[in-house]
Amino acid sequence: MIPIEVKNLSFQYAKDARKILHNLELTVATGEIVAIVGLSGIGKSTLCYCLSGIIPHVYGGVMEGQVYLNGRDTRDLTLPQIATTLGIVFQNPDNQLFSFTVEDEVAFGPENLCLPPEEIEHRITDALKKVGMSEFRHANPQQLSGGQRQLIALASVLSLQPEILIFDEAMSQIDRDGRKLILDMMLKLKAEGRTIVMIEHDFANLAVADRVLVLKDGHLAPFAGKLS
Amino acid sequence: MSYLDPRTKLVMVLTVSSLAVLITNLYLLILVQIIAVATVTAAGGSILDMLKKLKKFLLIFVVIVFVQSIFTKGGQPLWQVMNFTIISDLGLFRGLQMILRFFIIISSASIMTTSTPREIIQGLVQCKIPYEMAFMVTIAIRFLPILRDEANDILTAIQLRGINLRQIPLLKRLKTYSYLLMPMITSVLLKAQELSIAMELRAFRAYPQRTSLRVLKMQRLDYLVMAVCILVFLIIMVLALKIK
Amino acid sequence: MIVLENVSFQYTKDRWILKQVDLEIENGSCTFIVGPNGGGKTTLSKLMAGILKPTSGDVYLDQQNTKDLELYQVGTKVGYLFQEPERQIFAATVKDELAFVMDLKEMAQEEIRKRVEAALEQFQLQEVANSFPFQLSRGEKQRLALAAILMNEPSFLILDEPTTGLDRERKKILSQLIEQLKEQGIGMVIISHDEKFIQTHADRVVKVAGGEVKDGG
Repeated sequence: MIPIEVKNLSFQYAKDARKILHNLELTVATGEIVAIVGLSGIGKSTLCYCLSGIIPHVYGGVMEGQVYLNGRDTRDLTLPQIATTLGIVFQNPDNQLFSFTVEDEVAFGPENLCLPPEEIEHRITDALKKVGMSEFRHANPQQLSGGQRQLIALASVLSLQPEILIFDEAMSQIDRDGRKLILDMMLKLKAEGRTIVMIEHDFANLAVADRVLVLKDGHLAPFAGKLS
Repeated sequence: MSYLDPRTKLVMVLTVSSLAVLITNLYLLILVQIIAVATVTAAGGSILDMLKKLKKFLLIFVVIVFVQSIFTKGGQPLWQVMNFTIISDLGLFRGLQMILRFFIIISSASIMTTSTPREIIQGLVQCKIPYEMAFMVTIAIRFLPILRDEANDILTAIQLRGINLRQIPLLKRLKTYSYLLMPMITSVLLKAQELSIAMELRAFRAYPQRTSLRVLKMQRLDYLVMAVCILVFLIIMVLALKIK
Repeated sequence: MIVLENVSFQYTKDRWILKQVDLEIENGSCTFIVGPNGGGKTTLSKLMAGILKPTSGDVYLDQQNTKDLELYQVGTKVGYLFQEPERQIFAATVKDELAFVMDLKEMAQEEIRKRVEAALEQFQLQEVANSFPFQLSRGEKQRLALAAILMNEPSFLILDEPTTGLDRERKKILSQLIEQLKEQGIGMVIISHDEKFIQTHADRVVKVAGGEVKDGG
């Protein structure tokens, strides 16, 4: 099964005159880390929304072509179904975390899936252990560093056990130590066989990627320039 | 007493504050006040914090006493200036009554602060309040300090542009303040949008119900405390009717 | 010149954010403040801009103690660019954003127009002059905020993590602007953890960690 397969994807926001994505093709294999770079405003976030089904499920606009997650068209999947297949860590930790304790934050997803409390408990322990934040289980997320908060955001997505992870400029607001934490984590997740797409503008973070693609004029092309 | 169920605490607060509203007799109000203070202390709340909160209202209390005296007909004058009653015994009585009611309601509400916001919300959900609404409350509480910080930055930024907010001609004041709305509103909208996407992608509203890691369970003590609350309520109401 | 003399700062009683800091920042130079998140960088920069007043010690802006200065007076000496440019954009169009303070101060329309045009050009904002600022890219918002601050003609600029969220191209434009402003003789204090950016522009690097300030040369 191919985790991500995008075929001939075009997208146009309702009020926009031009197509921000145009005949875009992308295939990501299991256990691969693919980095996508490009100037801001070029459509990286839009691509992210298409991969995660936010387009067309939440945002309107004209979407043509197909996005398949594990062989299933995102149009035919519900957002909760997508949530257990694919998780996103966004740029700003403050706008992803809303609970008073780390535990509650990580429990949020499994609770929404109506899992029994014992299973939720199990998933919290698991997810926190994976990101190395077990000792902060009862801490207030707001009192953690930027890097640590991104790890909690990651844990709260991992508790839904997705096979695909997207990091949408997840390191742009954190310091050097924080960035290292996240990059190490990506390699660990890859080793577990998870598939990762990272949207980046900082070329210094691209060393972990197996492939680097550039988003330009609405479609993706292999990155040809120098990384540093 | 923090091990009491938040729902039990809610019953305590409701009992005491509804007594404060229903009762008119000053002595009984004082009794209710004593009960309120005792409960808060027992619940681990601090009377000192309560008093600090009430300090802000001090001026209002004084004004109430004067207003009640001047506008209430009847009663013996206690302080007159040129035949004009400034404080009367009835006014003082009514003023004290209002102050006590206020005091009781505010102090009893501080019982709730001995539970964490998470517990209170779980309590609400288990009282059959829709979970979407409960989460709206959580998020409001959680983001309030952040929005306050932002508002501070925004106020600072506009002053750094060379605008003296303390001395703007009246006509321009409205226009100047309207400029503050722009960054505040964009910030709230942006946050709301990002947050709702993050929540949806973690399966929020996947089903009409959701489970919870922590489930609140009423203990024997909870039922006991609730029974005492109802008893106290009835006794004081009967007393109030008799005294009348 | 910004001078900090024995400055300490705390938000709450038991936690010092900065302890006994002595620091001098000269005009026309570019000083970087580096250090881990939560180490006191932003607090230090807000003290320098007179936004926060020290718990003890004194901060002088051009020989004037910030304790005696109101915020609106500080604005003509020091410009402060917040990390989130959205917090300092107030008007409904880019043009109005640059003009509204002068409008409120009832400057001559001709003079306002001239200054706005000049700023639009310097900060490469002509194309978006009539746009709604909320819809600009992050880089454009930041340049707009910077242009608006400079309308006050401050002799100092403090920038809090200006490269956050900027891609390569936008970073280049910001770099050019910084060099231009430096040539105009404006002193700058920049908080950053972008190593390449620091190497390009720094005349001096100051490290802030755990409430202490060390000169990195």
